[in-house]
Amino acid sequence: MIRTVVRVGLLRMWHGRTEILLTFVVPIAFFTIFAFIFDEQIGLGKSPRVNLALVDEDNTEFSREFVSALGKWETLRIYAPAEHAEGLFVFTSTEPVRELVLAGTLPLAVIIPEGWTASLTNPGKGAVNLRLLADSSDPVATQVVAALIRQTSGQIMGERARQQIRSFLSLSPDQFADSPVSGFATPVAVDVVDLFAAGKANPVVSMYAAGIAVMFLLFGAVGNSGTLLEEEENQTLERLMCSELSMTQLLAGKWLLMTIVGMVQVTIMFAWAQLAFGVDLLGHLSGFAVMTVVTAGAASSFALTLAALCRNRTQLNAVAVILILCMSALGGSMVPRYVMSEAMQQIGKITFNAWALDGYIKVFWRNLPLAELAPELTVLTATAIVLFGAARLLARRWESS
Amino acid sequence: MRDRAEAHGSVNAESALRVCDVVKSFGHTTALDHASLEVRRGERLALLGPNGAGKTTLVRCICGRAVPDSGEIEMLGQPLPPSGGRHELGFVPQEIALYPDLTTRENLEAFGRFNGLKRGELHQAVDWALEWTGLADRAGDLTKTYSSGMKRRVNIACGVLQRPLILLLDEPTVGVDPQSRDRIFAMLDELWRQGTSILLTTHQLEEAEQQCDRIVIIDHGHAIAEGTLSELIASTVGAKRRVIFKLAEASPKLDGMTTDGDRRELVAEVEDVALELPDLLIRIRESGGTVLDLEVHPPSLHSVFIHLTGRELRE
Repeated sequence: MIRTVVRVGLLRMWHGRTEILLTFVVPIAFFTIFAFIFDEQIGLGKSPRVNLALVDEDNTEFSREFVSALGKWETLRIYAPAEHAEGLFVFTSTEPVRELVLAGTLPLAVIIPEGWTASLTNPGKGAVNLRLLADSSDPVATQVVAALIRQTSGQIMGERARQQIRSFLSLSPDQFADSPVSGFATPVAVDVVDLFAAGKANPVVSMYAAGIAVMFLLFGAVGNSGTLLEEEENQTLERLMCSELSMTQLLAGKWLLMTIVGMVQVTIMFAWAQLAFGVDLLGHLSGFAVMTVVTAGAASSFALTLAALCRNRTQLNAVAVILILCMSALGGSMVPRYVMSEAMQQIGKITFNAWALDGYIKVFWRNLPLAELAPELTVLTATAIVLFGAARLLARRWESS
Repeated sequence: MRDRAEAHGSVNAESALRVCDVVKSFGHTTALDHASLEVRRGERLALLGPNGAGKTTLVRCICGRAVPDSGEIEMLGQPLPPSGGRHELGFVPQEIALYPDLTTRENLEAFGRFNGLKRGELHQAVDWALEWTGLADRAGDLTKTYSSGMKRRVNIACGVLQRPLILLLDEPTVGVDPQSRDRIFAMLDELWRQGTSILLTTHQLEEAEQQCDRIVIIDHGHAIAEGTLSELIASTVGAKRRVIFKLAEASPKLDGMTTDGDRRELVAEVEDVALELPDLLIRIRESGGTVLDLEVHPPSLHSVFIHLTGRELRE
């Protein structure tokens, strides 16, 4: 009986090609858009670039060297008027740049005031500081640029100090390199080692694949569970309940079908992620399979409960869209939970999106063994069982009066 | 497939389905108030009643879709459990309860399986149903592409694939043309000849008259009359013919005849038309009336139904 319910569902899906398109292709398209966005900006350790203008009112050899060094940072995109698109453009006065920041064209401008180099070489005559004209709506950009300015100036001034010390001590470059003074005069270098991204192909994209997959898994499951209400509306449910099929068998069949479709949906999504974005699906097959089975099962139970709770498909669609979007937002399907506050991260734990994504992150991002998935698998399995039970209780209204 | 050695095609005294004193209430509304009826083996029984009389609730109780508050339902001599135990009972709902996005064959296979048929007998049953409905050449078409009459035929076929001994049909010919109706009743006759007892709920009194052996009329939740058409007529409106005379102008009142508002119609009830009609015509002429036309109406199920349930609208 359960097999027949599954078979009927698959046949109906097969005859409705649009439904197949919506179930399997739309999530891939959606994911691809997200993957491109994050692949360009966050994937593989790349950060978004900060736009800024440079103003050199000092116009000394040192200030020109400083400006040139700043222009080499990939993180920065130095603004140039359209007619000066080639090469590094440096303004010579502050006023036009101030207008650009006030107009919102640029979030930042670095001003090297006249007398800056002189104040560095002769600090006793009063300090002349660099200035940042900032739009406070982007505080992160200000901090990033301030840090880059310190690092750039430190490198240039450190190199100059090394040359002066070597000249003062009358040492050859090799002698100076071997001397203990050399170490203290060398700027501190920091190498960032990404323990998770290192050696992996597009690990961040795998997180978004999971996020989008779970969200569409929910949408797909709710769409499928709506057939239960459709059967009530077109009286096939009445006929089924007069046959030898029990309500438990009917729900189990629907659940099994939704779980199978969900698993195929997520698998296709990740297969596409591997083909198009190099996500290592084959290398994480066992973890992926376990997570996908329990996530699809929990999503199916959730959808069945919603369908059993609602009176018609219109009501189901309205409730489902609101719930799924809220769960996806809180649970990290749209925005990673690590960018949220601690409190929001904890609130997100009430959604099963969060548990599912945590599981997928453990598999694809942290490379943890299956045993480490125990909390996620337990919560998702328990969710599937409890919600199926709830759906069964609610479905008593269809059994008899 | 079921051994049809005992197929009858004639009514036998044994009970196929018996409903005894069934009461069913929904809140303060009593849908069934000690309702009773019996379908005998090999019988075609029509269940009639105005809207809201309790027909659907009764059918739902028989199918196990509603649990009676009290009373008993027996099938083939055995009490029916609240659910399950209805393999010998086929049900055809009033609505087209099919999957519109499945083909006829797929619908038949699905409902065959849901009715407990296994692989071998299922294929046999589906092939039989396709022939029976006359849709073998359209077996691969989606049912949503069918006409109303074709859908009705598939709807019935899905309820009889397991070849039940008792078949419940809820208004099986709603919305179909006369040709499709004839075809549907030809299909049902075939089943009946093979031994299936049929309980048909309908508002088409003509169908009940022509297609059924006995009639039960239900109103206010209980059966108010039952029997063959002639038994019902005898026990209600009687065997008298109703004769209506249409006059050229208003006529004076005549003993034994009633008249309408403008007195241009006289109505008399007669037991023997041949004997009594000439005398009536003479009396009208002697009173100054000129008969333009006349109609003779034999007693019918319609008159019985109105006699028993009244002319008042129920909804």
